[in-house]
Amino acid sequence: MASVDMQNIRKAFGPSVALEDFSIDIRSGELVCLLGPSGCGKTTALRILAGFERADSGDVSVDRKDITKVAVEKRNFSMVFQDYSLFPNMTARGNINFALKSRKVHAGERASIIDRMLAVTSLEDQADKFPHQMSGGQKQRVALARAIATSPRVLLLDEPLSALDAKVRESLREEIRRLQREIGVTTVFVTHDQHEALAIADRVGVMSNGRLEQIATPRELYETPVNSFVATFIGSINKVPAIGTSDGKWECWGSVLTGSRSSTPGESVVVGVRPEDIRVKREVNGPASLTDVSFLGPITRVSIRLDRGETVVVDLMSAECGDLRPEQAVRLSLRPEVHRVVVF
Amino acid sequence: MKTFLKWAFLVALAAFFIVPLLAMARFAFQSVPVILLTPETALQGWSIDPIIAAAQEPQMWAASRTSVLLAAFTILLTLLLLIPLAIVTEIKAPHLRPLLTALTLLPWVVPPIALVVGVAVTFRTGAPWFLASVFSLVPFYALWAMPFTYRALDAGLQAINARTLYEAARSMGAPFATIVMRVILPNMTASIVAAAALTTALVLGEFAFASLLLKETLPTFMVNFQQSQARAGLALALVVLLLTAVAISVVVRALRRRGLSVQTTGL
Repeated sequence: MASVDMQNIRKAFGPSVALEDFSIDIRSGELVCLLGPSGCGKTTALRILAGFERADSGDVSVDRKDITKVAVEKRNFSMVFQDYSLFPNMTARGNINFALKSRKVHAGERASIIDRMLAVTSLEDQADKFPHQMSGGQKQRVALARAIATSPRVLLLDEPLSALDAKVRESLREEIRRLQREIGVTTVFVTHDQHEALAIADRVGVMSNGRLEQIATPRELYETPVNSFVATFIGSINKVPAIGTSDGKWECWGSVLTGSRSSTPGESVVVGVRPEDIRVKREVNGPASLTDVSFLGPITRVSIRLDRGETVVVDLMSAECGDLRPEQAVRLSLRPEVHRVVVF
Repeated sequence: MKTFLKWAFLVALAAFFIVPLLAMARFAFQSVPVILLTPETALQGWSIDPIIAAAQEPQMWAASRTSVLLAAFTILLTLLLLIPLAIVTEIKAPHLRPLLTALTLLPWVVPPIALVVGVAVTFRTGAPWFLASVFSLVPFYALWAMPFTYRALDAGLQAINARTLYEAARSMGAPFATIVMRVILPNMTASIVAAAALTTALVLGEFAFASLLLKETLPTFMVNFQQSQARAGLALALVVLLLTAVAISVVVRALRRRGLSVQTTGL
């Protein structure tokens, strides 16, 4: 287990800046997801941490030891790639053996480690198969077994589930989490899938345009996003009008809330409100009207047109919805437990 | 209509390749003149005597031996030069790939006569022994085959995603030489075989360099032989063509059975 610290990293490829003032501190044994849209710099950050790319400026350290200029092969990290990167000329066992041999694990120990790795990834029956004889999920499990076999200080996963279908992705995601907890290896997981990140990570770092916008637990990220990018990138959010109050807060639909920034009295802004934070009350001459009702099982998603023409989406527990129908007039308010909003 | 056009195209394409070969086979192995060729005489007068006559020429065996040796040395030289070049370019300097792709086409821009004259002028004074040996053809053939061989090797590297394999192995702590010997090269078997097969086909058919440097190889022998014994010469050419095609397809099938796909071009 090792802690990782990347400080003030800058990396440009020609005129295009991939990372700018990127800093992240990862605690020992933690699983951190780097999440962001394509081209946000998350893979570049991972490759700099792995040592495949050299940062233009900034420092990378592991356990407070500077490794910025240490070669890839000497970092004792392991990386799992999106396209598995299994050696096609070797069986599953051969692939794991290659990793152990490269790390100079004694020949006597290798067989038992390989058997253990095949067992923890449920691959005993695939041990002597070549990659082209395995499914995508099996290949990625071999890649994972190969990566953790050498007991790396840090495990790096570069969109490891992107090439798999939804069902395999979900089961492998849980398997990665289970394995990571079992062996306690510090892990950095790059993904563009927010559900994956929120489900698996201890903390999620949201990136945009080469910068780390926020790093927090999935719950903090969802409930208290620091800016509009994070708020809109994670989950759904409605943009609703709010007015500044005299004490620096914001008034929205009758509730007074703390904002991501202070207000000036009378200032008119748009704030972000999650669909599940809105209450809907039927009212004959209510200022808003239902436009659509979609039953999604445990929740029902309703679209509501406000008096000024904007539309907001509200998620209600299906059991509480009763007989909501399109064209009904309603009044909206915020749930009493909502105290903070993001100001756009 | 669409299906008809598709089949018409395929038939025309097949005819383009098969008709000349059939005509060649008929001229070489059938003694009935074209003017007397009717459905009744189509199966008459076929004989393997022309190829037997060719096989009885001692010079044919000497020329074949020379061409086989030239093919072997050309393959060796080509692979020794191009495998390291293709691997290092792909792994260490992928941005140079387009440049290299263009450079490897250059041998086909310079006509054989210009190449031969240039080399002859250069070597005649400094190393005349080089031009005296039949193996002076090897570098010419290696150069001439380069547009095909480099592409075959490059396509092989792309197909196995060599750079990611290299990075995966490197992250495990493997040194460069181990990665090349145990990961990259074993997975390039198909493209190496493809490059070798293309080189062999090219050497067994190349006439211009051998003729200009006054060396007797199988193609130069066949041209001279055809002038004295037209039918036996063509019979020999056809057999060489078929044997080369069969040999290449046997190798490709063997590789496919091992789960390796053969790609001959990266374009």
